[in-house]
Amino acid sequence: MTVGLAVVVPKAVQALQVLTIMLGAPLVSGVIAHAEARLQGRRGPRILQPYYDIVKLFGKETLVTDQSSWVFLAAPVVAFSCYLIVPLLIPVLTTYGLPLGYMGDILGGGFVLALAGFCVALAAAESGAPYAQLGSSRAMTFGALVEPTILFVVFAVGLITSTDLPYALAATVRSSSEILRPGHVLAAVAFFLVVLVDTGRIPVETHTGTLELGMIDEARTLEHSGPALALLKWGSTMKQLILYTILINVFVAPFGLSSNGAPLSVVGAIAALLGKAMLLGLVFAVIDNLFSKLRLFKITEFLAAAFGIAVLAVVVFYVGPT
Amino acid sequence: MTGHVPSATAGTEDVVAVVVLLTEFAMLRAPLLRSQVRLYALQSLAVSVLAVVVAATRHEADVYALAGLSFALKVVIVPSVMTRLLRDVEVDLAGSAKLGVASSTLVALGVSVFGFFAIGSLHVHSSLLPSTTLAVASAVVLVAFVLIVLRSDVVSQAMGFFSLENGVSIASLVVAAGLPLVVETTFLFDLLVAVVAFGIIMRVHHGRSKTLSTDELDRLRG
Repeated sequence: MTVGLAVVVPKAVQALQVLTIMLGAPLVSGVIAHAEARLQGRRGPRILQPYYDIVKLFGKETLVTDQSSWVFLAAPVVAFSCYLIVPLLIPVLTTYGLPLGYMGDILGGGFVLALAGFCVALAAAESGAPYAQLGSSRAMTFGALVEPTILFVVFAVGLITSTDLPYALAATVRSSSEILRPGHVLAAVAFFLVVLVDTGRIPVETHTGTLELGMIDEARTLEHSGPALALLKWGSTMKQLILYTILINVFVAPFGLSSNGAPLSVVGAIAALLGKAMLLGLVFAVIDNLFSKLRLFKITEFLAAAFGIAVLAVVVFYVGPT
Repeated sequence: MTGHVPSATAGTEDVVAVVVLLTEFAMLRAPLLRSQVRLYALQSLAVSVLAVVVAATRHEADVYALAGLSFALKVVIVPSVMTRLLRDVEVDLAGSAKLGVASSTLVALGVSVFGFFAIGSLHVHSSLLPSTTLAVASAVVLVAFVLIVLRSDVVSQAMGFFSLENGVSIASLVVAAGLPLVVETTFLFDLLVAVVAFGIIMRVHHGRSKTLSTDELDRLRG
């Protein structure tokens, strides 16, 4: 019986990690949208609005242009399943690696996220619609520019922990004041900027905007409808929560996680994660209201700044005082 | 590469120092003169916070007074004086830098790496000398130099000079927190003199040539 429990509990917690991200993501998005509206003096949508949107879209019919093939309909499903895989690899609820947790390192998780982005861009390009194609090409361009920053952040992580497992870094951050070294702070700031870009927030993109010419990520889903669009919308909220989780539970504040898998501590960890993600979301909402969107050709400068900070993080480890 | 792990105190000092370094980088690429002044205020706020941290952890009552003084002077008075001067001259944008944004950021990265390298190669391991924070401080000073050298308008150069003083403040705070208050205050008054001097330069220069760009000063050469 105890042996059986020892096998079942980690798997149950692992499933719970995925479920937390899946079901919690629209809530976090709803809270951010609400807070943003309040900051702008509007009443704002209900906090649960993203759930209603997703449910509504699942009940609608799917329309497909006659030029597109099966890729157009398969891509949202593939992207969504990618977002279901990543929570297996990162410390969402526990401090220790769960059975599949060591399946891939940070780079592995990054690749799975990149695959999701690629699928959505592919479907957008496939639709043949000009704005969707514009979004897809822009997303790929800026994605390529973000990639080096992510790599250097991973290098910095590797230098701190001598591994590239997210669990190991989170453990290092918890166990000491490692978090307070300049290299770590710089890497965390660089990753923060990456999250800003990847979740399509202000200086890079107005995520609530309806003006197609300014769109990057948003434009890619313009041609989708019905359940496919629901999956894409849900997926993008999940991507947001996944990135927040990596930033919080790996880089900045990996506290409040369950260390033994006891039911109460896992519940606490779920509450802690969603709470921390909402706090981080408030920071993003404030940034949204403080800055204006950059011109498209200035975004490269923003990305270069993030890259510079990430490079400095790595270099500081080599040349700085230890 | 793990090296020795800093204590929570040294770590907090590091974090604040890195914030100062990041604002220095931000100043380098801020095109609006106003936003440069704001960034300076933010940076000075970080330095004041650092002073409070140092005062709390090393039990130096004097440093609290210093933190208060530097807050009043560098976060409130200097930025408001600069903003008022800027409002009078009605120039919004900094003059074009001698290098593009990307190149000047690269140069700044290079010199800050040199700053880290220079302090790192001292190989000092002492609990009394937090060499990491010192390295960040030296990087701040060097990037401030880059700002002064590459920007060709009076305001950016003044801001570069003031923020250079911020870098020196960090170094003096972490290395010599016990320095007599009188000496530290003298530094702050030095800054005040600099503000007056730069203020006069700004007004006279703008009064004569209707611009803030120092490139115009070439013409004065006989």
